[in-house]
Amino acid sequence: MAPPIRLTVPGTLRYRPIAVRVVSEAARLVSASASNPDDDPQVHDVRDPFDTAVVSAFMEIFNNVAIHAYKRREVGTIEIVITPDERQLVIEIKDQGQPFDIDGVAELPEELDEHSLPEGGMGIHIAKTMLDEMTYEPGPPNLWRLCKRLPSLRASGTTGRS
Amino acid sequence: MPTPFDIQHNGNATTIAIRGSLDINSAPALAEAIDKVVMRRPEKVGVDLSGLDLIDSSGVAALVKLYKNVRANGGSITITGARDQPLAIFKLLRMDKVFNL
Repeated sequence: MAPPIRLTVPGTLRYRPIAVRVVSEAARLVSASASNPDDDPQVHDVRDPFDTAVVSAFMEIFNNVAIHAYKRREVGTIEIVITPDERQLVIEIKDQGQPFDIDGVAELPEELDEHSLPEGGMGIHIAKTMLDEMTYEPGPPNLWRLCKRLPSLRASGTTGRS
Repeated sequence: MPTPFDIQHNGNATTIAIRGSLDINSAPALAEAIDKVVMRRPEKVGVDLSGLDLIDSSGVAALVKLYKNVRANGGSITITGARDQPLAIFKLLRMDKVFNL
C-alpha cells in the first residue's frame, strides 16, 4: 500500500484551494474517474459521484476549521492526511484551534419551501450526508476523520473492487 | 482570483451567470453584488449555473439570499443549468424542488 498523502497548510481560507485540489486528485485515484487531459488543469473536474462526495465534504470541513477553530486568523496550521486505497478514501484533518461544538449543530428543516430555505448551518449536514463515516474528536488537537467507500463495496459488503 | 459571475440588466430583467467555484472565498463578492441587484427590485431574475463547477454551503447561502430577497420584493427568479457537484448539493439539501432544478 502506498504511504498516505500528507499536506500541511496555514489554517486560513487562502490556502483552501490548494487543499481542495489535492483532495480532489486523491479522490480520483480511488474512483478512477476519467479525467480529460485536455481540460484546463485549474478547473476542478468533479463529476463522479465519489469525487463529488469527497470534495464536497472536505470543503465544508476545511471551512469549519478555518472559521470556527482558527476564527479566520492565521494562527495555526491544518494537517491533512489522505489515505487512498482501492476500497475507500480516508481523510484526517487536524488543527490546534478551538474545539467545535458538533452536537450543537441544528438539523435542517424537514420540509423546505421558499420561506424556510436555510441561509446557514448547512456545512456539517452536507459533509455528514455525503460521507459513509464522519467522526470528530475535540482537542486540541481537534481531529476530523472522513471516510468515503466505493459504491460497489457499500452494496456488496465485500472487500474486493468489482 | 477572477470574479466568478457576470450580471446583466435588461429593463426589469436581470441575468446572473455564475461560473467556476462559488465558495466561501468567492461568495462574499457575489453577496455584495446581489445586494445591488435586489435594490433595483427587478421583476425577473435569471440565474445561469451552467458554468458552475463547484459550490459549497457559503455559495448556496448566497443563492438562497438572492432567491428570498427577489421573491420578497415580488419578483420572480429562475435558476437553470445546475449540473454535477452543484446539482448534487442542491438535491442533498432538498433545494432542487424549491428552485425547480
